[in-house]
Amino acid sequence: MGGEIIISANLEKDWKDIVHRCFRCGYCKFTHDYSDFNCPSYKKYRFETYSTGGRLWLIYGLISGELDWNKDVANVLYACSTCGNCSENCRFDKFNDLLVDIIEAAREEAVKNGYCPENQKALVERIKNTEMYNPYGEKNSNNEALKEEYDLPDEAEWVYYIGCTSNYRQKELRDATLRFLKKANINFTLIDEHCCCSPIIRTGQTECVKDFINYNMMKIRETGASKVITSCAGCYRTMKSDWIKHDDSTDIEIFHTVELINDLLNEGKLNFKTEFNQKITYHDPCHLGRHMKMYEIPRDILNRIPGVELIEMERNRGNAWCCGAGGGVKIGYPEWSVEIAKERLEEAKKTDTALISSACPFCRTNLNDANQEFEMGFEILDIIEIIDNLDYEITNSN
Amino acid sequence: MEVNKILNKLIEIVGSEFVSNNPADLYIYSQDPGASEPRPVDFVILPKKVEEVQKIVRLANQEKIPIIPMGGGLTLSGLVIPNRRGIVMDMKRMNKIIEISPLNRYALIEAGVTSGQLLAHLNNNHPDLQPPIPDAPPSITIAGNALIHGSGYLSQKYGDHGSMINGLEVVLPDGEIYKFGSCALSDYWFTRGPIPDFIGLFISSFGTMGIVTKLSIKLFPKPNMRDIVFGLCKDPSVLPELISNITYADVAEDILLGIQDKPDWMKGYTFIIVYITGETEEELINKTKILKKMYRKAKSRYMKVPKRIEEVFLEKPQFAAKAADFRKGGGFEYVGAFIPLQLIPKMIQIGTDISLKHGIIPTLGARLIGQGHSAMFFISYSFNRADPKDMKNARDALHETNKAALEIGGIPWKAEIAGQQLIMEKMDPNYKKLLKGIKNLIDPNGIMNPGNWEVK
Ligand SMILES: Cc1cc2nc3c(=O)[nH]c(=O)nc-3n(C[C@H](O)[C@H](O)[C@H](O)COP(=O)(O)OP(=O)(O)OC[C@H]3O[C@@H](n4cnc5c(N)ncnc54)[C@H](O)[C@@H]3O)c2cc1C
Ligand code: SF4
Ligand code: SF4
Repeated sequence: MGGEIIISANLEKDWKDIVHRCFRCGYCKFTHDYSDFNCPSYKKYRFETYSTGGRLWLIYGLISGELDWNKDVANVLYACSTCGNCSENCRFDKFNDLLVDIIEAAREEAVKNGYCPENQKALVERIKNTEMYNPYGEKNSNNEALKEEYDLPDEAEWVYYIGCTSNYRQKELRDATLRFLKKANINFTLIDEHCCCSPIIRTGQTECVKDFINYNMMKIRETGASKVITSCAGCYRTMKSDWIKHDDSTDIEIFHTVELINDLLNEGKLNFKTEFNQKITYHDPCHLGRHMKMYEIPRDILNRIPGVELIEMERNRGNAWCCGAGGGVKIGYPEWSVEIAKERLEEAKKTDTALISSACPFCRTNLNDANQEFEMGFEILDIIEIIDNLDYEITNSN
Repeated sequence: MEVNKILNKLIEIVGSEFVSNNPADLYIYSQDPGASEPRPVDFVILPKKVEEVQKIVRLANQEKIPIIPMGGGLTLSGLVIPNRRGIVMDMKRMNKIIEISPLNRYALIEAGVTSGQLLAHLNNNHPDLQPPIPDAPPSITIAGNALIHGSGYLSQKYGDHGSMINGLEVVLPDGEIYKFGSCALSDYWFTRGPIPDFIGLFISSFGTMGIVTKLSIKLFPKPNMRDIVFGLCKDPSVLPELISNITYADVAEDILLGIQDKPDWMKGYTFIIVYITGETEEELINKTKILKKMYRKAKSRYMKVPKRIEEVFLEKPQFAAKAADFRKGGGFEYVGAFIPLQLIPKMIQIGTDISLKHGIIPTLGARLIGQGHSAMFFISYSFNRADPKDMKNARDALHETNKAALEIGGIPWKAEIAGQQLIMEKMDPNYKKLLKGIKNLIDPNGIMNPGNWEVK
């Protein structure tokens, strides 16, 4: 092993040439210490087929012509939350970082061959609908009312890209972010945003992605902004690592809200005036954690909120158990999706905390759904909502 | 076979979630990561309880459908790919660690417990105990490994993993549960004897005798410290005596040999990798001194390696799957042959010659078993999984190696069906007669992993 690197990052060209190299060794099924299975799909189905290796071998079977496309094959490809535990634990460097991309690329093939499952198809239908432009089927909000409410300019240094989940489902999170940005005196505005395309990229329905990215980029550029901030882990991952595949310009910087908060804290500009006297456990969103390797910033923030006692769940950071919402699992397999979230809540119970915090509206949605369905009695709040509960002072943030 | 009727009966036993005859699910069970060609599967089933195993076996017996028990499926030699279609029984849902007995030093586990699971359980709950596990990936099962005479980092000192089985619970083809070892008459699964020992029947019989549902495996005290003393040897003829001396001095936990032609600087050398353990730093220093002296005396030399490399070798389990030569195309299979120490130089020659003949970079080595009583010598052939010709080339090399190992007096380990036939060609006829008789007695309908150990 070792030596030259022969896989280029150009996945489009290469994924079909490398997929057969998966050894099927199964490291990808586990947590770091092998104490438990950490691939939600394998843990649920238990057929080798549903392990990452099984999925990759199946994909190779399709490429080599040993298998034909059908609904069942497509189902195996879609029964994966794209959580990235496999990338974290596969031992083959220069291959492991491509695993989720390979699964998504194979989903694109499924779509091309007419085997996208029905539930997931709804995502693209709603996003393409000119009344909606979002996967929730809500009427598009052009955000003008919010601009007015928060007295936001047409041109600004920053764009707050709200994201569909915060704008249509987790409005408390959106509003907490708006209040924070205002208070921080950030020179920002909103755009008439259309979906970032995370749900359709993750489910292989990429036909209209380029148009959506172009549209959003155009809207961002119209404001003259050089920075985009979002409080959604999914949007953040998509803008930062998927958009560049379509628009490689570097004039726009992408931030997650927690990065701004952390900077303000580091510079001594954000000072909390009240305490938040609670034990909290933090759930790493896959799209922020394993996908973007952002583990410490959210924790550093929570640890600096007076009164907070942060208690880690057994599986944390790169080892975290997925919330079960991603990769089209929430819409495609609603029952299984909350089962996955339930396992996370059960793990959180062991920390003896009553509050789970995260940095993703989609994780918040699914953890909340499980919380209600299984009557687990947690409070689930985004970091920005916790901060919104406090008195704080921000000085000179510009 | 009435497929739907059988499927419905299997569903009745384990529920519809855990049995399938859907081609998408069967695909991966029709092949393994080794060089064998795919072979068709009819059903795959994942039982959770021993009662379910019994019902499946009874049904298979009634309908005369083959059953192929499978653990991690990582033996590489096609042993879990059906030879005559049938039901692959994936055991990994039976994954309870039933008891760890620290004082009596055994773990009583279900057959689907993986090596990763047991290792982590002990690390987290009994940090002073360690399990006998191979350098195979952590997704293999303890049962699958012990049942094929597996070996690992404790085997030099304590023997192969088959010998570490204290007791078995087995569902035989008649559907009844049998207990072997002390558990047949005692609550303690602490020893195999002192009663007639049938456990050997289930080791290296590749699932042809019954389905193991529980086993008790020995655990061992974990020393405080562990280190490696690397040696470099140019003349393989000195190896048997050097290794024998090391075992005499009783300084080694594990002894591995490695020979490989790539990278270029490794060519022409045998790397001697001796693991030492101790309670104190001083003990390790003394053992290192003894080994350095032995290396010198055997015209070999001590080799200092960077910490980074040492850490790779100290990992448990080692990341041995890297032998898959990922860049070439992801596949490898090896002949492991059990040989007496004295045959090591000959095996090095054989392995190198066959590899070169087949255009494969020589990658071979050995692990000592039982304080010098034998060695598991491996010759590894990598191949490109996407190239059928390359896979055939590897299969040919494997077959040739099995033949050569047998010719010089070794015994191929976990051999493919073709390798098993070679072994039986050489086997004492009365051994074969007895094997056939026992198999017929236990499994008159020949449902257990048929094709394996078939006396013609
Ligand atoms: C990279 C790599 C490194 C390896 N290193 C080592 C090593 O260091 N030492 C070593 O010993 N091996 C090694 N191996 C070989 C092999 O992977 C291991 O021996 C492994 O433990 C086999 O276990 P398994 O669960 O995969 O068994 P499987 O392949 O699933 O099964 C092995 C055999 O046992 C039978 N079987 C399985 N479960 C049962 C049951 N419950 N009842 C009855 N029969 C059963 C099967 O039918 C089959 O015949 C290595 C393999 C790889 C790929
Ligand atoms: S994805 Fe990586 S870890 Fe998983 S089976 Fe394949 S090679 Fe092994
Ligand atoms: S992304 Fe997550 S669910 Fe999908 S195969 Fe990898 S580990 Fe499993």
